[in-house]
Amino acid sequence: MTETLLLGRRAVREVIRLPAATIPTLFIPLFFLAVNIGQISLTFPSTTPFLHGQGYVGFQLPVSLMFAVCTATSGLALVTEIELGYFDKLLVAPIRRSAIIFGRLAADLVRGLAVATLVLLVALAFGMQVRSGVPGALVLIALAALWGVAYAGIGMLVALHTRNVQATNASFLVFFPLLFLTPNFVPFERLTPLMEALARANPVSYVIEGLRSLVLEGWVLDKLAICCGVILLTGLVLTWLSVRAIDAYDR
Amino acid sequence: MSSAITACDLRRTFKGEIEAVRGIDLDVARGEIFGFLGPNGAGKTTTVRMLCTLLPPTSGSARVGELDVVAEPAAVRRRIGVALQEIGLDPLQTGRELLELQCGLYGILGARAQARVQELLELVGLLDAAERRTKTYSGGMKRRLDLASALVHSPGVLFLDEPTTGLDPASRLTIWEEVRRINAQGTTVFLTTQYLEEADQLCDRVAIIDDGRIVAQGTPEELKSQLGHDVVSVELHGADLAATQAAIGELEGLDRVVAGSGALALYLEDGPGSIAEIVRRLDGARIRVGAVSVARPSLDDVFLRATGRRLEGDREESRREEARA
Repeated sequence: MTETLLLGRRAVREVIRLPAATIPTLFIPLFFLAVNIGQISLTFPSTTPFLHGQGYVGFQLPVSLMFAVCTATSGLALVTEIELGYFDKLLVAPIRRSAIIFGRLAADLVRGLAVATLVLLVALAFGMQVRSGVPGALVLIALAALWGVAYAGIGMLVALHTRNVQATNASFLVFFPLLFLTPNFVPFERLTPLMEALARANPVSYVIEGLRSLVLEGWVLDKLAICCGVILLTGLVLTWLSVRAIDAYDR
Repeated sequence: MSSAITACDLRRTFKGEIEAVRGIDLDVARGEIFGFLGPNGAGKTTTVRMLCTLLPPTSGSARVGELDVVAEPAAVRRRIGVALQEIGLDPLQTGRELLELQCGLYGILGARAQARVQELLELVGLLDAAERRTKTYSGGMKRRLDLASALVHSPGVLFLDEPTTGLDPASRLTIWEEVRRINAQGTTVFLTTQYLEEADQLCDRVAIIDDGRIVAQGTPEELKSQLGHDVVSVELHGADLAATQAAIGELEGLDRVVAGSGALALYLEDGPGSIAEIVRRLDGARIRVGAVSVARPSLDDVFLRATGRRLEGDREESRREEARA
């Protein structure tokens, strides 16, 4: 446990000392938020049933949160350490290799909390309200950050298997189909049958639905439960695979 | 004296049937500085990685003390300190933070860690730079910090993989002094190097590795004295190799002649006494050579005798290749 805390503290310090790695990841979500609201808010005024009396910004916020927290930052940090040789230094220390993974995930959690808070504040500046109140806003931030932690496993898996910066950086692209095969612009019911089927099969849809419910509807427990379940399951599977990959590294 | 490191028929084959290490035997005594000398690609780093538990052997066995590196890797890691060829530093941490973290990973926490870090920073002369991020350090400073980070837990065995490669001569001497000081405190040092002088100056015993096999092993003096001869070098400077060799012909006390890149090495019982005769014969055959010199055998001569080529020549060639790249 101590080693995880130590490595986590180091990774968090890295996030603080290298803002250039975090700031660009904020540009795309804020850009999409502004552009989508600008282009679509007149098409879907607040009287639109699925907006529950709010502006379109409330509908779009979860998508922007997904963009903000899903990064390959931890994978890139890992592969950079492999290239620098520091990774070997950690492997030769008498620690559990999984501590290296969990240390990185701690940094993902801190980064996720920070960027999700910032994106939420921007959405509030656009006039959005969180129907579930301040506690709901906090849960929204926490769930978004935890999804970022769960998703970080993809970048780390690619980093450990390829040991290549370019490949790890490109792993971020996996997120685009995952994000766009969802009810990101309109609810399930308004999608074409094929898109609806794909969106319903995509677990990311349920994370978006859960986050969106906190903003637009208040405390909808079944949606929140499914959202939490997806985050937990994704996190467990990807983290387990990452731990397996690091345990098998050069063995 | 009991063994600090042993290896028995240690082998490592990589994908594509590349045999990096082809069955080596080692026995490093406690408290000695053991040099592992060889050119680039000889298998030095692969051997160190196996001994440090970073890479499993394909076959054979190795022990650090009484601990098997495959069966008890965690216990081995607690006993060893490692500074690998790639300097393992986190560029975003300060020197002090890096050492404190390293202490923590070895279970040294709080005031004990702070005291140990202070001691190590003093030892490697980095107190003034302790609060600076390591990315601002020079190559020599990075190497010294890396060395310090390998020492946080006072390991019984220290592995140094080419610790002076790429350093300027002054930094190299500083590292040598550190290694001697660490060794004087009882730490066994296993040091890989491609520098003959380093092996000669620093090591109690040396193993020469080439193409994954150990080709000679012993103290530097033993290895050199095994040659039993002086070495007369004839620098060709454009002269024809075969003609030069033919002109010199048979000499009294000549053991063997080895042709290197641009030079002939003559192993003679009496080098100084033979020079005049060699020059006379070359003159008689109207062959102009660059220089004729005599020396006591060096480790490079040991390497030459064992492998048929010079280590220094190999390094020059690889430097030229690097420059061309």
